[in-house]
Amino acid sequence: MKPLNLIALLFFLAGAGWALTRSDRTVREIQNAYYAVMSPFLKSGSELETKARAFLEETRHSKTLEIELDVTRQQYDRLRLIESQFRALENENAQLRHALDFTKATHFEVVAARVIRRNPTTWWQTVEIDAGSKRGIGTQLAVLSNEGLVGMIDRIDNGGERSSVLLLTDEKCQVSARVEGSPEVGILSGQRGGFDGDPLLRLKFLSAAAALRPGQKVLSTGRGGTFQPNILLGTIQSVEKGALDSEALVIPAVNFADLDAVFVVLSTDS
Amino acid sequence: MIRYSLITILLLLAAFVVQQFLPAFTGIHHSRILLVQIVFLCCAVTVGTRTMLVLAFLGGFFWDAQCTLSGHCGGLDVYTQQVDSLRFGYSILLFGAMGFLMLGIQPLFHRGKWQVSALLSGIAVMLYLSAEYAIINFVRGDFILTQATVLQMVFSSLVTMLFAPVIFWALFRIAEACDHSINPEAGRRRQRAF
Repeated sequence: MKPLNLIALLFFLAGAGWALTRSDRTVREIQNAYYAVMSPFLKSGSELETKARAFLEETRHSKTLEIELDVTRQQYDRLRLIESQFRALENENAQLRHALDFTKATHFEVVAARVIRRNPTTWWQTVEIDAGSKRGIGTQLAVLSNEGLVGMIDRIDNGGERSSVLLLTDEKCQVSARVEGSPEVGILSGQRGGFDGDPLLRLKFLSAAAALRPGQKVLSTGRGGTFQPNILLGTIQSVEKGALDSEALVIPAVNFADLDAVFVVLSTDS
Repeated sequence: MIRYSLITILLLLAAFVVQQFLPAFTGIHHSRILLVQIVFLCCAVTVGTRTMLVLAFLGGFFWDAQCTLSGHCGGLDVYTQQVDSLRFGYSILLFGAMGFLMLGIQPLFHRGKWQVSALLSGIAVMLYLSAEYAIINFVRGDFILTQATVLQMVFSSLVTMLFAPVIFWALFRIAEACDHSINPEAGRRRQRAF
């Protein structure tokens, strides 16, 4: 190898070493700078993707669309009903907390957002939404859909108009979960390589004698500081028993392939 | 030569912009065109070691800036077994390794056999994705390789490789415009034939 090439290689390795030893904070700053430069292109790219998706949607059979509209209307009515019940429960909860001399008031505010980009990276299961810090969104906030938990905010773009959501189907997104009608609690996360078909989640660290049956609901416990309690995560599909603990495969409550509108929970109070 | 090298760097940066417009093909096992990687590989075979290393550093650095996930998820008291992510900067080394692989077949490219380089670029993308996935398995524990993952890697490599002739065509035109020959031996042979 020529001496100049050897020197270049040493500089390259030093540069790689420098990059590998950056702290999380520095990496975030680098990412912010990168996305600030890329922001106009990202906007155009996501607009193009949205238009392409809208075009594909339009070409679908009108009958299917009519059926979907009916279903959506029914769901909308149902959700309005649920929302009114939820508000009543929230008020009741707040009153009870006050009655118990809780020092903090209860907040449960959400910001509605649309998915504008799906799976922008190769290995991580993420989507991008059209809401950011300008609407009060920060990292580590829970993201819901009308079906259940979608994931959590992983990154906010520098412009404050977009955020990246780490989906529940990603292995890195962990949620403390409990199984309804049983004392079992565990950690729910996505599975590696679960890109094709309908992704399944894995509920780990259950007791060895976990008596669970398919169809039981899995809900968040609210522990760990990111996700509020009692958010629907999915339903048990099967249980794999081990010598020391058990694991369960869970069908996610949310249809991630058809994700469009989501809600970011601004408050982390449980 | 310097002008050509600078243009390859600009081409790589432009690839990052165009990459934003290329979504995953959900119908083809979530495969995607890895434009940044293919531009880097095609450029790497046409430049010297030093320029290749500059391209590898920039390519890996910006790729990680685009893809790195947050380092934490929830309270450590509950989530005691955090799932590790890939460290920022690992792509620099992967890009460097791929670049040296392409430099290895530079003599063939100099003789005018760009088709071999195009084919190798597809293999290099496959190796890159395999290495990336292997590192994920290494840092997260357990080796899990599903058929969906293999298909995703294979189809991503194939659709990416299809772009190699286009990139090479663009590089030949750029080299011509810069008055620089990227396959000098083939040029000499053509002159002798005339």
